[in-house]
Parts: sequence; structure tokens; C-alpha cells
Amino acid sequence: MTIESVTETTVVLVLVIVTALGFDFTNGFHDTANAMATSIATRALRPKVAVLLSGVLNLVGAFLSVEVALTVSNAVVKIQNSNGTPKQDLVADGGAALLLIILAGLVGGIVWNLLTWLLGLPSSSSHALFGGLIGATIAGLGWSGVNWNGDGSKLDGVIGKVVLPAVMSPVIAGAVAATGTWLIYRITAGVDQRFTDNGFRWGQIGSASLVSLAHGTNDAQKTMGVITLALIATGAWTDTTNIPFWVKAACAVAIALGTALGGWRIIRTVGKGLVEISPPQGLAAESASAAVILASSHLGFALSTTHVATGSILGSGVGRPGALVRWAVAGRMVAAWLITLPAAAVVGALMWWLGNGVGGLAGAVTIFLVLLAAAAFMYLRSRRAPVDHTNVNDDWDARRELADADR
Amino acid sequence: MHNLGFALEAVWRVLLAGLILGAGLPALFALGVRSLAYGAGGPGRAPRPLGTAGGYLCFAIVLLGVALGITFIVASGFGKELSFEHVYPTVVDK
Repeated sequence: MTIESVTETTVVLVLVIVTALGFDFTNGFHDTANAMATSIATRALRPKVAVLLSGVLNLVGAFLSVEVALTVSNAVVKIQNSNGTPKQDLVADGGAALLLIILAGLVGGIVWNLLTWLLGLPSSSSHALFGGLIGATIAGLGWSGVNWNGDGSKLDGVIGKVVLPAVMSPVIAGAVAATGTWLIYRITAGVDQRFTDNGFRWGQIGSASLVSLAHGTNDAQKTMGVITLALIATGAWTDTTNIPFWVKAACAVAIALGTALGGWRIIRTVGKGLVEISPPQGLAAESASAAVILASSHLGFALSTTHVATGSILGSGVGRPGALVRWAVAGRMVAAWLITLPAAAVVGALMWWLGNGVGGLAGAVTIFLVLLAAAAFMYLRSRRAPVDHTNVNDDWDARRELADADR
Repeated sequence: MHNLGFALEAVWRVLLAGLILGAGLPALFALGVRSLAYGAGGPGRAPRPLGTAGGYLCFAIVLLGVALGITFIVASGFGKELSFEHVYPTVVDK
């Protein structure tokens, strides 16, 4: 290995780390809605206070991840051994082959996260990350590089860790939230509103905080694992039982900043678009989310907080007699869920081919520049119809009519 | 389709835990709110201390549930897990 190729790999490694932190940041603002959309919609918390609280709790949650699994990618692709070290043949060239797969995969995840944010659709960040990695792996290693179905000993592979939980978790969360909503309305029927309003306000804040904390521990870990994998691939880190502290700190800060920025476009869809949420529904929805997320992570059932949170909110609409549920919005959202993984995979694969075609450092820089261009384009598009803390709670149907009139 | 079997196995447990903690605790919370309102009395009615006490008892149980959730998050962060072997939860190594 020449000095030149070592320096080149180092530059690519830095690009991978920056891109991974960028993904973590989009993961943060994409998922603020999961915890806080209901509290914002019912005005239990002022919008800016809500996203700040969620950001702080994500930061705390991320730092709580003392034991981080380095094997996060093993659920879907075969680029790591079971102890977390990269596959030998992928690091034969000093890690460049593995870095390109990770970089292309991350770009796929970010591009899809930004596009769904622009459209105000709550799609799963884990699906985007896994999709990107799957696509880049298929491009780089072929179909056999993907862990489709596990080895039969436990719930594993794309089917077991991604597809089945995605189908089942919104239904479970919806059923729990519908039951909770129905019970709460039955129990508090006829109680003076001055008692219910204040009580449910605190109930919502508490349950939403729990969801934020759980999100911080779950989601920041994924990026920590990916960055550490890249460090190990290049020989910059060798310990497979620990991760460098700066990786943990950087990931914690990135996801917290993203969350505190608030993905207002998604918060609006989740909080106002699906169901007109009342405080009891907000409490039922967030409690259902918290319970389902924690119970399933206890049982090793890997699910997406996004699917759970939106399932819960729909359930809270079903459980309240006479509540308005906008099934058209829900349908659009489910469509986005279905195509998240394949779409991120296509972007990941295209990025790998582009990077590999150009080759070496220039290839990595090229796909990084493509990412920057795509991000800038989508940000500028978002400025045409900005959604922020001032208009996040505007009446859903009225805004729709305005948008239609513009066309 | 071994995965489907494993998933269905996990699903009913998640659903059960979800219903108890995710729907049961909010229902208990609602009961607490109702009990507080009952305890506060109203215009021309004396307060009923028993209702107030019952309300706070409900909230206390809900808080225990929340504490269980936080313990779980912290424990799994430290590579431990909660065991329900002795009915009451204990923190054990994974």
C-alpha cells in the first residue's frame, strides 16, 4: 500500500464520517414528530419548547447508549462478521471497498429522508438507512451480499428485521392506542374540563418525553455503529467491544440538534393531517407508542418509531367515536413507507455505481457532491412553502384549499 | 417462513405488554383525573378527601410504570436487561 492510497482512504473516511453525522441529523428532525407532534397539535407544549425538550432528551438518550452494538448492519447486509469486524475481503485494499458501500448507502438514506421531509411524509429513517445500505451492497457485492431471510435461528434478515415489523407494528400500536383512547373517553365522560385539560396535558408531556428518550438510545446507536465500522475498516480503531467516545458524543449532538431543529413539515402532517387530536387522544397515542417501542425492543422485535407513532395516532382517531380520520393522508403515508426501502436502495446503488465508475477518492468526492447538490435543491424547494413553528398548527383543510388555489 | 413464526410469537407479547402498559396505564391515569375531580367537590358541595387520595394513588401507580420504562431504557443502554423472572422486574446482564 502506498502513502498516497493511505491518504486517499483517510479523506474518504472523513467523508463517510461527515455523511454519517449528516444522516444522524436528518434522522433527528425526521423523527421529532414521532414524539412531539401530538403535544404540539393539542398545544400541551408550545412548538419551540416541544422540539427543544425532545432534542435534550434525545441527547441524554444517546449518551445512555453505553453498550453499542457494532453489528447494526448485520440485520440486512453481509459486510460484517458476527463480532462486528468487517469482512476480510472488503478491507483487503485498506478499507476503500467497504467505505464506498457505506458512503453510497448513507447518501441513499439521506436523499430519501430529505425528499420525504420535503413532501411532509413521516417515513422511517431506519428503513432509509437500511435501504441505502442494501442498494449499495447489491451494487457492490451482488444479491448474495444481502441478508434476506436470516439463518432460521431467530428473527433476522430483511424480512425478519425490516419487512415483518413494518407491517405488524403500526397495527399493534394502533390497536393499543384505540383501546386506550376508548377507555379514557369512557372513564372521564362527564368530568369537568378544567380537570381533564390540565391532567392530560401533563400525561402527554410525560409520555412524549419517554418516546424521545427511547428514540435517542435506539436511533443514535445506528450511526455510532456505522461510523465505528468505517473506523475499523481503515484500521483507525481496533476495539470491537467499545466505540470511541468522540463518535458517541458527535452522534448524540447531531441527532439532538436535528431533533431540536424540528421537522415542521412532518410534525404538521402527523399532528394535524391524520387526525384532529384532542388531549386524551394525545395521551393515549404517546403512551401506546412508548409502551410498544419499549416492549418490542425488550423482545428483540426491531421496529421503527415512525411506524409505531403514526399507527398510534391513527388508532387514537379510530378509538374516539365520531373522530375525523383522514384516510387519504394515511394512505399517502403508507405508500411512502412501502417505497422507502426500495427507493433508498435505488439511490444507494446508483451512488455506488457512480462512485465506483469514477473511482478512488474522486469517486467518493463525486457522490458527496451529488448529495450536497440534492440537499441544496430540496432545501430551496422547501422555501417555496415554508412550514415552521408559526404555522405548524394551521387548520389542515384551509391550507389545502390555499394550496389548490395556487395551482 | 421461519421469520413469520418468530414475528407472530413476538407480536402477541408486544400486543399484550402494549395493552397493559400502553392502554392500561393511561386508563388508570384517566381514573386518577376522574377521582381528583370527584374529590374536589364542586359549587355548594364539600370536598371529598377520599377521592383526592384515590386520585393521587392512581397517579403514583402510573409513575411507577413510567419509572419502569425509564429503568428499561437506561438498563439497555448499559447492556443490561430487565428480567421479569421474579414477577417484579430486576436488572440483569444480557
